[in-house]
Amino acid sequence: MRIASLFVPMFPMAARLRAEPELREEAVVIVEGNGSAAHVVAATRRARKGGIRSGLTLPQARAILPGLTARGRDADCERAAQEALIELAEQFSPRVEDGGDGVAYLDLHGLERLFVSREGDEERAPEQNLGQALTAAAEGSGMPVRIGIASSKLAARIAAELPTSPTIVPPGEEAGFLAPLPLFRLAPELEAVATLARWGIESIGDLARLPEGEVAARLGEAGRDLLYAARGIDPRPLVPSIPPPSFTEGMDLEWPLVALEPFLFVANAALDRMTRRMEVQGYACSRIELVLKLDPDGWDARSIDLPAPTRDVKTLLTLSRLELEARPPGAPIAGFTFSGHPDKPRRAQLDLFGPPALSPEKIATAVARLASMVGMEHVGSPRATDGYRPERFALAPFDPPPPPSMRRSPRPSRGILAVRTIRPPIPLEVIVDEPGGKPRSVRSLAPPGDGKEKPLEINGPVRVASGPWKMEEGWWSREPVGREYWDVEVGGGVYRAYRNLESAEWAVDGVYD
Amino acid sequence: MASIPLFQTTPSALPAPAPVAAPEREDLARLRAALGEHSRQLRSGREVLRDAGRQVRSAVATGLRPLDRLLGGGFPKGRLIELTGTRSSGRYSIVLSSLASITRCGEPAALVDHGAHFDPQVAKEAGIDLERLLWVAPSSVKGSVAAAEMLLATGFPLVIIDLGMRLRGRRVPDAAWIRLARAAQAYGAALLLSAPFSLTPMAAAGIIRAERARPRWNHAGPPLLDGLSLSMVIEKWRHDREGKRTETPLRISSS
Repeated sequence: MRIASLFVPMFPMAARLRAEPELREEAVVIVEGNGSAAHVVAATRRARKGGIRSGLTLPQARAILPGLTARGRDADCERAAQEALIELAEQFSPRVEDGGDGVAYLDLHGLERLFVSREGDEERAPEQNLGQALTAAAEGSGMPVRIGIASSKLAARIAAELPTSPTIVPPGEEAGFLAPLPLFRLAPELEAVATLARWGIESIGDLARLPEGEVAARLGEAGRDLLYAARGIDPRPLVPSIPPPSFTEGMDLEWPLVALEPFLFVANAALDRMTRRMEVQGYACSRIELVLKLDPDGWDARSIDLPAPTRDVKTLLTLSRLELEARPPGAPIAGFTFSGHPDKPRRAQLDLFGPPALSPEKIATAVARLASMVGMEHVGSPRATDGYRPERFALAPFDPPPPPSMRRSPRPSRGILAVRTIRPPIPLEVIVDEPGGKPRSVRSLAPPGDGKEKPLEINGPVRVASGPWKMEEGWWSREPVGREYWDVEVGGGVYRAYRNLESAEWAVDGVYD
Repeated sequence: MASIPLFQTTPSALPAPAPVAAPEREDLARLRAALGEHSRQLRSGREVLRDAGRQVRSAVATGLRPLDRLLGGGFPKGRLIELTGTRSSGRYSIVLSSLASITRCGEPAALVDHGAHFDPQVAKEAGIDLERLLWVAPSSVKGSVAAAEMLLATGFPLVIIDLGMRLRGRRVPDAAWIRLARAAQAYGAALLLSAPFSLTPMAAAGIIRAERARPRWNHAGPPLLDGLSLSMVIEKWRHDREGKRTETPLRISSS
């Protein structure tokens, strides 16, 4: 069995720089702990050149390099970076194991057939091609990923830790590969290291040559395991991880944000990373869960449903902004996490002779953006509903059927006179011949509301009145509707007016246009 | 065989190329003859392609024959056309008829309904395939322009902005309409702006005015509304159609 290991050196720093790429060229350290106990766990190249080493306290580091930028370890950043690393491995193999902070293993069984050398390049082994492909894919992840390929997880990880990447250990040569390496590469326990140092053991090869029984007698079970590791024997199988149900991106902020714009700036980058990860897996986002960490304490969680799966960052950001504007969190934001729920994006098969179909992805994005602009209740595919009231309305998600396989010629329409529905109906003052009789004259009144809206003017004598047509609906319900409809011609316009049978009030709810 | 000089500078002097032999057509003719009456159902791949290319029209038909004849096929693609008219002028019927015409051909369409006047039942009676219609109801003219631009970019072949019977909120500057007209041109879509009066004569490639229609009442018994007599006149067009007018009756749906 051949295993590849992906390894990210100085993982806490790499995860942070993935979230804040503008810090790559700066002198930055990642610290762990609080106050004066905070100590450096990782530093950028520029900081290391300035003399910063792991283990220094933050005051010590700042004394050496005054302009040093410090960031705390961020669990959200590291989790997102680890997920991105796993997803990178999943681009190549379905069997991937999460090896912990900055480490992932993937089973290479069967992949060698996909990476055979092309003509003129026969000397390169398939694993070398695979290593190069992994390196190329890793460059797009925003993290410095190193690759090692061997027959065991241990050898693959140690190979990946070496500065040259990719490092390929030929099958059966694990012991020979490990032998010249220093002992600390096996990450032994400190007590064992001290004992082995007293024995004069410095390299892995020196340890591998010791007799097993003697080592076990002196160092116990841990010593035996270390000896096996030194001989390249690693019985641990690869345990594939289960893909997460959602894609998460987020970070702890350096200082709490009180305004929306700066938050949207950092949220944009996080959503961009999240959608890229989804794109790699062939998913789109159907729902976002946004969890805000509030200052000084507390959480604010909210869920944003999307009309259709999309990967458009602008749409996701607009929806997040509208959600936050509608319900502000009420406290400064100290951190945030976006969880995108994956769904398959809509696909369509194009036709050669039929009219062009709209791209489902574009429709989804447009509908989501329109919904964010005008509201979910004002965009969609209209549907007729049961009933008689003209104001009835229903909306369905816009999901047009595929176009016909052949273009159809346009046919002449039926020449139907359409009614323009007026929502809400405009109240009318009507003079009638007699109670319940024909309207003779009408005058529009101000519609119900805040009074700012100027009423549509329908004033004057009725030239022709046609009716009445009775309409009853929901007589069995608590709010029955009973109306007497009239078609009236007033001042050149033809309107659909009605008298409410219960209140005897008049209104106009349509114009023949 | 006549020799052709190598450095002939006058192409007209070249002999006409020999007609390309088309043996497949003879085969087709024989097949048609053999099929007899059933040969009408037979179409070669070339014929299918030719018909498909013919049907890639440069205009979206309104469905109203007199108006389509007047416009030379319908609303031209890649252009912003204004449709103006007061209340009961038949303007809304033209909007619904155009939507019905394109959706019945299996193509999608978008309606930006500024006044939220759309009634699905009326639309169904007009023949609109509601599944192929995307309806958006912004609350302002500015929102309507933004929504239309988004819809054009999505690839809808027909986008209609219906600004209702009166404009609510502030108007948008001419630059916004010009930008919208350019979007229609860039995406090759027909863009119809239906408003009570002309809003952007500068950006519009054509303006059609629906004149106040004459209601037709049936006075045989108690008065009944039969329909409207729609009268349209072209106020602006690219070629020589300006000032031309046509009329068509619209009738009340019997269903």
